[in-house]
Amino acid sequence: MTEPDVHTLTGPYVLDALPEDERARFEQHLTECGFCTNEVAELRGAAVKLATQVATPPPPALKADVMSAIEHIRQLPPLVPGATDEVSRRRFSRRSVLTLAAAALGVAASGGIAIDQYRDKQEVIQANERMAAVLAEPDARTVHGAVKGGGQATVVTSADADAAVVVLRDLPRLPANRTWQLWMIDPNRTAHSVGLASGDLTTVVEGSVTGSVAFGLTVEPTGGSPEPTLPAAALLPTA
Amino acid sequence: MPAPTPLPWPGGSSTQPGEVSDGDLLVRTARGDTAAFSTLYDRVTPWVFGLVRRILRNPAQSEEVTQEVMLDVWRTATRYDAARGSAHSWILTIAHRRAVDRVRSEQAAADRTDLVGARSTEIDFDQVSDTVTTRLEVEQVRRCLDTLTELQRESIALAYYEGYTYPEVAQRLDAKLPTVKARMRDGLIRLRDCLGTTKGATA
Repeated sequence: MTEPDVHTLTGPYVLDALPEDERARFEQHLTECGFCTNEVAELRGAAVKLATQVATPPPPALKADVMSAIEHIRQLPPLVPGATDEVSRRRFSRRSVLTLAAAALGVAASGGIAIDQYRDKQEVIQANERMAAVLAEPDARTVHGAVKGGGQATVVTSADADAAVVVLRDLPRLPANRTWQLWMIDPNRTAHSVGLASGDLTTVVEGSVTGSVAFGLTVEPTGGSPEPTLPAAALLPTA
Repeated sequence: MPAPTPLPWPGGSSTQPGEVSDGDLLVRTARGDTAAFSTLYDRVTPWVFGLVRRILRNPAQSEEVTQEVMLDVWRTATRYDAARGSAHSWILTIAHRRAVDRVRSEQAAADRTDLVGARSTEIDFDQVSDTVTTRLEVEQVRRCLDTLTELQRESIALAYYEGYTYPEVAQRLDAKLPTVKARMRDGLIRLRDCLGTTKGATA
């Protein structure tokens, strides 16, 4: 994640403010950007709190309609092997036109979020596989470093795979207006932003790893900086 | 993926110690437990309906979309993954997406044109009901919103409460597209840090 413009789309995305085509492109980008995925989850947690400001109970009659409609709606099978699947036996009751209509709505409604979660799960599996692949490379090298203020940074790099696994653990909590920023440093000592982290993180970095000589971790103002603020909280030489 | 960090801040649900969490109810719902779904319905629909109505304005459409959301929760509860955020956050994300999709549909857009005069970018705090949420939580969110810059707050409010896309927000606020995108993001980051939320956690 190096293109700053794409990175700022996490905000509009969690607010459902991206036009259709941009939403689709960003969701594609999310599959390969661990930092963005993490940030989306965090910002979403904050965005939904906005709903507290407008809470209003629905008309009581709505509940009877919903409860009656679910009797005719089959739940999706779980994705995780081993999860319970005892939902097929539904009681059958007389249907009113309303519940039929509601059931039809429910079936037609292939909720975007459900797909989102499905894709996210696939993405977690893929991320795990990518990590495992990097760790399995014969040329994989591990570098540990203490983070100033507490915590550990570990980078496993593979020149052959041109990829690295970065693990940040037990990082100290930052002030509200600060964020962690991860960098790759090239042989000319120029730092290239890899992404932001609000705390502990495990992620895979792909591309440009082979040409880098070090990974750096800095504390930056919220939103990140174009250049690292020194001294760095951690610097891990990888070459 | 890092494990979700426990939240120092209660989820949206005002869960008391010893009370069953929304996350537990959703897990039971996923097993076809209608009693659990019924309790979950009572817990979350004030947020769902309030949010949907805020975006759509039209009461009949709001009831319809609220119903769609809750049926969707029932149908897709099996796909909920606690590692990705709280049950409350998951349900409200579904609700927001559905309400926004509806408001952007052609008919709703036409309806909205008629309502433009009645629309305000202010957050309508008066709609808060004491019976469905704790005063504490409402106050904290409001206080955190006050820490945002005006442009951050307005960009977020127009998108979240009105369902506008960021190009529409930019037009209404007479701001540049990259500026609005950035204000939405840094405003949410500030809100997150102020609220102490992490991944909308708490099951």
